Amino acid sequence: MIVTPQIFARLAAIAVLAVLLQLSFFSRVEFLHTSADILPIVVVSLGLLGGSMAGAVAGFSIGFLVDCLLVAPLGGSSLVLLGVGYLAGLFRERFEVQSALLPPLLCMGLTLVAELGFAAVQVMLGVDAPVSTLIVRDLLLKSIFAFFLAWPIYYGLRRLLRPALVEEAKVSRRQPTVLGT
Amino acid sequence: MYRKQVRRRRAVLALLVISSFLLLTITYGQTSGGLQSGVSTIFSPLQSVADRALKPARDMVGWFDKTFEARGENSRLEDELTVARRKAVAGQEALQENAQLRKLVGLDGAPALAESAYAPVVARVIGRSPTVWHSTVTIDAGTGDGVHVDDPVISGDGLVGLIASAQGGSAQVTLITDHTSAVTAKVVPAGVQGVIKPEVGDPQDLVLDFIDSSKDVHRGQAVVTAGWRAQGLASLFPPGLPIGEVTDASIVEQEASQQVHLRPYADIADLDLVQVLTGGSRG
Repeated sequence: MIVTPQIFARLAAIAVLAVLLQLSFFSRVEFLHTSADILPIVVVSLGLLGGSMAGAVAGFSIGFLVDCLLVAPLGGSSLVLLGVGYLAGLFRERFEVQSALLPPLLCMGLTLVAELGFAAVQVMLGVDAPVSTLIVRDLLLKSIFAFFLAWPIYYGLRRLLRPALVEEAKVSRRQPTVLGT
Repeated sequence: MYRKQVRRRRAVLALLVISSFLLLTITYGQTSGGLQSGVSTIFSPLQSVADRALKPARDMVGWFDKTFEARGENSRLEDELTVARRKAVAGQEALQENAQLRKLVGLDGAPALAESAYAPVVARVIGRSPTVWHSTVTIDAGTGDGVHVDDPVISGDGLVGLIASAQGGSAQVTLITDHTSAVTAKVVPAGVQGVIKPEVGDPQDLVLDFIDSSKDVHRGQAVVTAGWRAQGLASLFPPGLPIGEVTDASIVEQEASQQVHLRPYADIADLDLVQVLTGGSRG
């Protein structure tokens, strides 16, 4: 990803908007008794578009902002989201994202990893109450929701960050070849 | 060149991971740092605007979800209505009797019944935590409205939680379904007391623990806040706030205490307007 000041501003706006949307909308609507979590989807999408460093930094920043706004112990969400962002970026650096189905599938898988990560961090910090088995249903449903929400989020972000993407830049450089003049 | 890039990438990753662990270590156990309060203060107007703008969309999704569930709930609600009617009639009689008894004993101004000492502040929920591990909501009332840490929060149906931190124009509420929450409560009319803890991951189930197993608790009985007061200390909650209804009261043999499961009256998953009971007298 080519990060110019304009792209940096766009990335910051995306992070803030994602957090506000999550806290004010997605966390407050339930379907099948579970609310969707778009933050891992946004982080994974940024990782897939910008690489491991972009994914990790986006994950850390978004996690930090969420923890600040919820007045939760700082660092917990950052740790988990930077992990999934880095993994998504690593995948993009090692393999080609050729199929249109691949980003939503990766978002689904990495959302499950993120939710397990949140659980692991909480267990590490201590849980003062019994844990219901319904939490497994919550994890699985969040991942399934991620698959469907990843389509608009991933492709929307790709469109929004097009000028900064290395692959897109290569394609657009090839286009204006004029022959026979 | 490539190696240098990889090394730099790894260094950034290591720095971020170390920063996360450092932040966790420093801020764990603290209610609210200056940084968090500052960020909350900056973002609460934005959250408030986002909340209002997104309400129609939330209502639409909520309508679909509720319609989906309505079929199964209809017959259950009809049964509950029949039971509630009977209780309402009995309640009217009890209210009359209670008013007469209070006059007789002269408890009207007693501090234990000091609900009138609280000044309720109405607030709108503007944000909610995304994971089940932290069951918190953000409201649009803060210290500027008289809201302070440890003020009880209720909805029209019953107890919702407690103020965990407050800034100028917003505050964070730890819900009764959060794993850190614990409320001293009693079953009415039996009067048996215990501590209510949540079951993480299931907002429709609370557990009333440490109840004497010799006491008789039945399904359908109401659970309210106990509001104890002893040796200069007092519960953060005033007595008599409705919390939930007993759904299961199985006695485990060979145990001195029993666990009672209850369903909260307040619709914790769909909170919109709440009341903060400010200014109450505490230990």
